[in-house]
Amino acid sequence: MQQEVVLAMLAKEPSHGYQLRARLRQALGPLGEAMNDGQVYVTLTRLEKAGLATSEQSAGLPDRPDRKVYALTAAGQQRVAAWLAEVSWPRPDLAEFHLKLIAAAAAGLADPLSIVDAQRRELLRRLRDAQRAALAEPDGSAAGLLLEGIVLRLQADLHWLEACERNWTPRLTSRKEHR
Amino acid sequence: MNETGAPVLRARGLRKQYGKGEGLVRAVDDVDLEVASGETVAVTGPSGCGKSTLLHLLGGLDRPTAGELWLTGQRLDRLGERALARLRRDKVGFVFQAFHLMDELTAAENVELPALLAGRSARWSRQRARALLEQVGLADRAGFLPSALSGGQRQRVAIARALVSDPQLVLADEPTGNLDSQATIEVLRLLESLHAAGQTVVIVTHDSRIAATADRMISMRDGSFVDETRLTGGSTGSLGTLAGLNGLTE
Amino acid sequence: MGKIRLIGRLVRRDLRRHPGPAVLLVLAITAATATLTLGLVLRGVTDQPYQQTRAATNGPDVAAMIFGFSPLSTAPGNGPPKQVPINHAQIEAEVRTLTHAPGVTGHSGPYPVASVALRYRGLVAPVEAEGRAQAPASIEQPKVITGTWVRPGGVVLERTFAEALGASVGDRVTLDGRPYQVVGIAVTAAGLPYPNMCYYPGGNCVYDLQDNAIPSDASNGFAWVTEAGARSLGSAKAPLSYFLNLKLRNPATAPAFANRYGNKASFTVPTLIPWQAIQTGSGLLVQDEQSVLSPGAWLAGLLAIASVAVLAGGRMAERIRRVGLLKAVGATPGTVALVLLAENLTLALIAAAAGLAIGWGTAPLVASPGAALVGTPGAPAVTLQIAAEVVAVALVVALVSTLVPAIRGARTSTVSALADTARPPRRRPRMIALSARLPVPLLLGLRLVARRPRRALLSAASVAVTAAGIVAVLAFHTSVHLNGFGESGGLGNPVVDRDEQMLTVLTVVLVALAVLNAVCAAWATVLDARHASALARALGATPPQVTEGIAAAQVLPSVPGALLGIPLGIGLFDVAAQGAGVVVPPAWWLAAAEIGILAAVAVLAAVPARVGARRPVSPILQAETA
Repeated sequence: MQQEVVLAMLAKEPSHGYQLRARLRQALGPLGEAMNDGQVYVTLTRLEKAGLATSEQSAGLPDRPDRKVYALTAAGQQRVAAWLAEVSWPRPDLAEFHLKLIAAAAAGLADPLSIVDAQRRELLRRLRDAQRAALAEPDGSAAGLLLEGIVLRLQADLHWLEACERNWTPRLTSRKEHR
Repeated sequence: MNETGAPVLRARGLRKQYGKGEGLVRAVDDVDLEVASGETVAVTGPSGCGKSTLLHLLGGLDRPTAGELWLTGQRLDRLGERALARLRRDKVGFVFQAFHLMDELTAAENVELPALLAGRSARWSRQRARALLEQVGLADRAGFLPSALSGGQRQRVAIARALVSDPQLVLADEPTGNLDSQATIEVLRLLESLHAAGQTVVIVTHDSRIAATADRMISMRDGSFVDETRLTGGSTGSLGTLAGLNGLTE
Repeated sequence: MGKIRLIGRLVRRDLRRHPGPAVLLVLAITAATATLTLGLVLRGVTDQPYQQTRAATNGPDVAAMIFGFSPLSTAPGNGPPKQVPINHAQIEAEVRTLTHAPGVTGHSGPYPVASVALRYRGLVAPVEAEGRAQAPASIEQPKVITGTWVRPGGVVLERTFAEALGASVGDRVTLDGRPYQVVGIAVTAAGLPYPNMCYYPGGNCVYDLQDNAIPSDASNGFAWVTEAGARSLGSAKAPLSYFLNLKLRNPATAPAFANRYGNKASFTVPTLIPWQAIQTGSGLLVQDEQSVLSPGAWLAGLLAIASVAVLAGGRMAERIRRVGLLKAVGATPGTVALVLLAENLTLALIAAAAGLAIGWGTAPLVASPGAALVGTPGAPAVTLQIAAEVVAVALVVALVSTLVPAIRGARTSTVSALADTARPPRRRPRMIALSARLPVPLLLGLRLVARRPRRALLSAASVAVTAAGIVAVLAFHTSVHLNGFGESGGLGNPVVDRDEQMLTVLTVVLVALAVLNAVCAAWATVLDARHASALARALGATPPQVTEGIAAAQVLPSVPGALLGIPLGIGLFDVAAQGAGVVVPPAWWLAAAEIGILAAVAVLAAVPARVGARRPVSPILQAETA
C-alpha cells in the first residue's frame, strides 16, 4: 500500500496518529487485523520528513507519533489530488508464476502440473475463507465490498490456473494414472 | 438424519454409456464416490464431462449401465421404477439449473408439490411449504408466480421445494448456471446455511464460488474423477496480501 | 409470388416429414364428407323413381278398393267378426259411380282380389292376390322385373314383399294351402311398398297425405295371379274384393276426387287413394334413411371439427416453438399460420374428394329401396351442386378448426415465439386448491385439465356428440320395440331393416371418429404435459400415477359430456323421427352406454399416457429451457 493512502486519510481533517490508525482498521474490516500498526506511524513520520504533512504535539501528551496531531501541507494536498486522479491498478503477480512453471519444467525440478494443482488448492481454500468472511459481513458494508473484490479476483485467478492446467497437461497421457 | 459413520451415498464402479461400437460414448466411466452425512461435496469439470449425468444417476433419475449404488443403505440400481420414485420422494431433493418450477403455480404451490405427491394432506403440505419459504427468506413471496420472481428467488423456491420432504440428500445440478452474480450470492448464502445445518449435499458446478462452499471438491473429466481436494485451512492473513496490504504488513 | 412458392415448399416439406397427423386429419374429414354425400345423394332419389314407375306401368291417378264384404260387429268375446258378403249388384253400382264420375277419362278393372295366407319356408303372411289377365292392361300394368307375368299355377310377387319374404323366381309357395310357383317379380305404382300397404278402413294403416302411415302388426303383402286363380281363391269365409284403377283428366285433382268419392271409414263406399299419397308413401323408406343420415352427417361433421381442432391446435403449438428456425428461411409467425391454413385446406380438399367418391360408391347399396320403384339409383347423380356443397363443407370444417390456432400463431410476436412464452398454461387457483385434496392421480389429472381448458371443452364436446349419436340409436331401437315394428309373422320389415343398417353404419362412423378424437386428444395432452409429467416423476410420482393422471385428464371432462349426450340424443331422435314422439330408452341401456363410453375414453387415453409416462426423465429435464 502506498503512503498516499495515509496522506489521503488526513485530507478530511487533521487527526491524531491513533485516530488515523483506527480509521484504517475500521475501513479494512477483518483484514485490518493483519495490518501492522507500527507501519502506520512509520509512514506518518516519513511523510512528515518529505514535507507532505506536519505534526503537532498536543499539550499534555507525550511526544509519540500516535499522540501527535498530523495535518496535510499544501504540497501534501497537491499530492493527494494527483494520486486520486491516477488510474494505475494494483499489479497481479502472473509473470512470476508463469516463469516458475517454465523454470520447473525446463530444469526438471518439479512437475509443473503438481505446482499448478498445489496453487489451485491453496487458492480454493482462500476463496472459501474470503467468501465466508464476505457473507458474514452485513449487507452494504464497505468491508464486505472489499472482501467481494478479493473473492472475484480469486475466481479469476482460478480460471487462469485451470487454463494453465489444460495447457500443461501432456496431451496423449491418460489421466487415469494420476488417481 | 443418518446414523453416524455410515455414508449417505455410496457408488462403486458407476458407469453410463450410450451407443455401441464406434459410436460408444461413456458419459460416466467407472466412478467411485462416498459421501458422509453432513458433508457437502462439489463436482466440477468442463462442460460435457458427464457431471450432470452422474448427478442424475445418483438421484435415481437415470439407470446406470453398470456399477452399484447405495443410498442410505438401499441398493438403488436394483430398484424398479415405482420404488425409485418413492425413494426420490422421501430421501432425495433435486435442484436443477433451469429451476423447473411449474409456471402456473405460486411459490407455495410449487414448494408443497412433493409433499402432495407423497400423499400428505393439503394442510400439512401448505404449512410445511410456508415454513420452508420462510427458511429461505421468501415468506412474503409465497403467493407470487415464478414469472414475478427474480432468477435468484426462483432458485431459492426450488431449493425450498427440494427440502420439503426433509431429504437425506440434496442434489444440485448447476444451481447458479442461469443466475447473475447477485442471484448467485443469494443461492450461495442458502447453500452455506444448509451446510451449517448439517444437510448432506452434492453439487455439480463449474462456478468455483459454489465449489468453495464444499468440504470436498472433486474434478471430473471425460466421465471419470481425476482429482480431489479437501478445502480447509487458509487464514485472513494471506487474504490481506491478496488485497494488496503489502505495504502495511511488512 | 415468392411468398406463395415459399408456402408451397413449406407445406410439402411438412407433409413429408409428419404424415401421421395429416393422415388423421384426412380420415376425420373424409368420414364427415362421405356421410354428407350419401345424405345429399339420397335426397334426390325419391321423386324420380316413382315417376319412372308410374310412366312405365301407366299407373292410375286414383286407386280404388271396392270391398266384397263388410264385417258384422259382434259382441266381444264371441270370436272374430263375421264377414257378410256384399251383393254383386251393389258392387257393380259402386264401380259404375266411379267410372262414370266427372273427370274420369279411363279405367282398368275391376279386378278380383282374394285375401289369402301365403306360406313360404315356414313363414306366414297375409296377401292380397289380385287376379289379372295375361294380356297387358292399358292402365296400370305392373312391370315385371324378373321372370314372367301371371299364368295358371303361377304367382307374381310385388318386389318389396318378395324382398321381405326372401323369395325369388322359381320358389314354391302355397296360397291358402294350394301350391303355386313364383313366376315373376314386379313393381307397381298403384300401391305402397311393403309393409305399408293396407287399405282396411277403421284400422290405422290407411295411408293419407296428412298422416304418416303406421303399419299394423301384420302387414299385407301384394301379389298377382290369373283371374281364374283369384276367383278360385275366394271363398265364403273370405269373399272377393275388387281393385279399380282410374285415370283423371286432371291428375292434380286426384286428392279432391278421392275425398269426394271415397270413404276410408266405410266398407260400403270404396276406399280411394290418390297417386300423390302413394308417391309420398313410396318415398318414406328413403326419407327414413335420409332422416337418419342427415343428423348423422351433422354429428360426424361436428366430431370431425373437434378432431381437426385438436390436431391443428397441437401442431400449431409445436410449430410456434420452431418459429426461430423458420425465421432463418424468411418466415414470420404470420407465414407459419398461413402455412398451417394452406396445409389443412389442401388436406380438406383431398378429404372432400375421397368422401365424394366413397359416398357415390356406396349410394347404390343403400338407395335400392326405392325397391318398389323402377328407377335405377345405381347411378345416383353426384351432381355438381352436391359436389360443390360437400367441398364447401370440408373447407369450412378445416377453416373453422384451424382458424383459432392460426390467428393466435399469426398474432404471436417473433420475440415471444423464440422465448417460447407463447401459450403459457392457464392458472385456476380454485382447481389447484381443490386438487390438493385429491389422491395423486386425480390431483395430476385435474391440474392438467385446468392448464388447458379449451382442450377439455373440446373433449367434452366430442364425447357429448358421440353419446348423443349412441343414445339416438338406442332411442330408435326402443321405439322399434315399443311400436312392434320389428316383425310381422317372422318377415322382416324392410323399413326398419334399412334404418338399422344405416344406423349401424353411422354408429360405426361416429365411433371411429370418436376413437380418433380421443386418441388425438390424449396424445396432445401427453405432449403438452411432457415437462410437467417428467417433473412430477422427478419429484416422486410413480409412472402408474402419472399414467392414471393423464387418463383422468381425459375422463374428467368426458363425464359431463357423456351426461349431456343423453338429452341431446333423445332430442336428436325426436327431431329425426319426425313426430314419433319423445322416446326415452330404458335406464339400464343408458347406464350401460354411459359406462361403456367413459371406459372407452379411459382405455384410449391410457395407451398414449402409458407411453408418455415411461419416457426417460433425464433428457427432458436436462434440456436448457424449462
